[in-house]
Amino acid sequence: MSFGDFLLNNLRQFWELTGFANAEIGNFVMLAVGLFFIWLAIKKNFEPMLLVPIGFGILIGNVPFNTGAGLEVGIYEEGSVLNILYNGVSAGWYPPLIFLGIGAMTDFSALIANPKLMLIGAAAQFGIFGAYMVALLLGFAPDQAGAIAIIGGADGPTAIFLSSKLAPNLMGAIAVSAYSYMALVPVIQPPIMRLFTTKKERLIRMKPARAVSQNEKIIFPIVGMLLTCFVVPSGLPLLGMLFFGNLLRECGVTTRLAKTASNALTDIVTILLGLTVGASTQASQFLTPQTIFIFFLGFMAFIIASSSGVLFVKLFNLVLPKDKKINPLIGNAGVSAVPMSARISNNLGLEYDPSNYLLMHAMGPNVAGVIGSAVAAGVLLGFLV
Amino acid sequence: MNKRIIIAAIALVAGASSLMAQSRKAVRLNEVMVENTSSIVDDYGEHRGWIELFNSNFAPIEISSMYLSNDSTNPKMYPVPLGDVNTRIAKRQHVVFFTDGEPEKGTFHTNFVLTPGVENWVGLYDADGSLIDAITVPAAVLADQTYARATDGNGEWAVRSGHGDNYITPSSANVIKDKNNRVEMFAERDENGFGMTIMAMCVVFSALLVLCLCFYAIGAIGKNLSRSNKIKSMGDDHTDPEVRAATGHDSGEEIAAIVMALHEHFNAHDEENTILTINKVKRAYSPWSSKIYGLREVPQHHRR
Repeated sequence: MSFGDFLLNNLRQFWELTGFANAEIGNFVMLAVGLFFIWLAIKKNFEPMLLVPIGFGILIGNVPFNTGAGLEVGIYEEGSVLNILYNGVSAGWYPPLIFLGIGAMTDFSALIANPKLMLIGAAAQFGIFGAYMVALLLGFAPDQAGAIAIIGGADGPTAIFLSSKLAPNLMGAIAVSAYSYMALVPVIQPPIMRLFTTKKERLIRMKPARAVSQNEKIIFPIVGMLLTCFVVPSGLPLLGMLFFGNLLRECGVTTRLAKTASNALTDIVTILLGLTVGASTQASQFLTPQTIFIFFLGFMAFIIASSSGVLFVKLFNLVLPKDKKINPLIGNAGVSAVPMSARISNNLGLEYDPSNYLLMHAMGPNVAGVIGSAVAAGVLLGFLV
Repeated sequence: MNKRIIIAAIALVAGASSLMAQSRKAVRLNEVMVENTSSIVDDYGEHRGWIELFNSNFAPIEISSMYLSNDSTNPKMYPVPLGDVNTRIAKRQHVVFFTDGEPEKGTFHTNFVLTPGVENWVGLYDADGSLIDAITVPAAVLADQTYARATDGNGEWAVRSGHGDNYITPSSANVIKDKNNRVEMFAERDENGFGMTIMAMCVVFSALLVLCLCFYAIGAIGKNLSRSNKIKSMGDDHTDPEVRAATGHDSGEEIAAIVMALHEHFNAHDEENTILTINKVKRAYSPWSSKIYGLREVPQHHRR
């Protein structure tokens, strides 16, 4: 072999390892999707904390490489760095850590002051089971249908947790779908809220919530965890961590822990979760007809969840005394996209009455939605595993 | 202080040891073959009777220093040897001991033999000699038949002949599942998902309804307690019903309104003894946190 052949052979081998030689059309489609997510986050400010890591993760996951070369760089290749980071998603331990942070940063006062708002959070879970029925109609098996339907809970960590148990093969599509629709909550929900409410209903003023004592705030996470987890023990990882985080916040003697859980820890896990979920959407795994169905079902689940929350409040108002009516604009907040959907209730309320602030009232069903979706996930897990 | 540390340490040790004991209790006798002429062979290629253990936990269990015995009066008949990595049973997995009476052949060869044609008692003991599980294999169990639990770690014991569904399963699950029965059941009985929706929504509503009622009750108790505390703090003279009723209406807004009204009326202001001082917070300069060193200046375009 001449020296020239030697150089050519090595360069040819190197070329075969490059992304250019291994690229397929699917990779470019997914790269475009990743760039779109990053654009949405930066230009449109749609959930940037989620969409930037997911979008960049999609870019990372779709750089083509020769899988036969044993480079151990792909997220699905055992022992690779990305695979190790992905363990938090596949084994389902990132979502409970996120729930710890959510608990540590959530003030449940609105819910404690007006406990009936919890029922709105329960009603919004119809989105999950409406989507479950449609998924069955489309030919998905019950466990896959359950994993897809949880998108309707509008809760990314719960969706990842449940899909990792019920349908690991669909987890990438489910996670991306859940986070995409959560980012699009400001676009999806307002038309539904307007459609199902009259102008008179949108002007309903709710009484300010009563002051909640420190003792009640401390009792809430303890009783909440015991009650919900006794009913649905399979929701223990999510609910246990959620209420634990809240106890750290409210007990007054673990301020440092609560701060770490709600800031540094949540930030770290959000980065790892977003990045690895994004990277899990390799074109070969992601670009399938099933993914299109999942996105369609996710969209339906969001619409059903938002509608059922609003309609439930209207129904509830029929039995409530005149001075205790609930503004149906807070019904959409029953989905657990905290605090985005509560902010939407507030903004829409202010649009019709500039002095009618609904934010604190909407936070009640919003955090109830977090509990409700975790309970619903526990129920699906209990029935289908 | 030292006393507290000692008590905490004792509690920790007691808790840890009880946890360990609890996990070892999850090991079960799962299947027994007394006489083996055509079933599995051991590492030496010989057909021997065997005992299968099953870890019913969802965590690995180390079984070294536990005991197997075929004599209830001698619980420490065969100690599972220490120092063998294979004595750690993975979660929900099995391990087989050959009952050949030749412990020198290795960890999984017991020093006792099961006798065909008679009842054989087999016991599994923890390191402290406490019985974990025991079974009497009937004399009627023939050669190449096993006496096994219906499902792993659970259910009734029954004779298995190895024919049809009565399969013999050394080192594997007693019931071979080729599908998820629950999923199959839902696919068959609840095609459109109504059943799941009704059941699940009932559970979700019940859980949150119970929580809701509970917090109404806690709220009511809290209000009563704070009211009675206020009455107490006002002294024994203020026990008439009117005062009690009045103490219930002291929301923040009302108090603020009353205070403002008094302030306006009397133009009153308290003389405070307290001196409020605002200290300037100084932060020591450190180049490690200085943005000057962390950020690059944006290049300027200079046009001529």
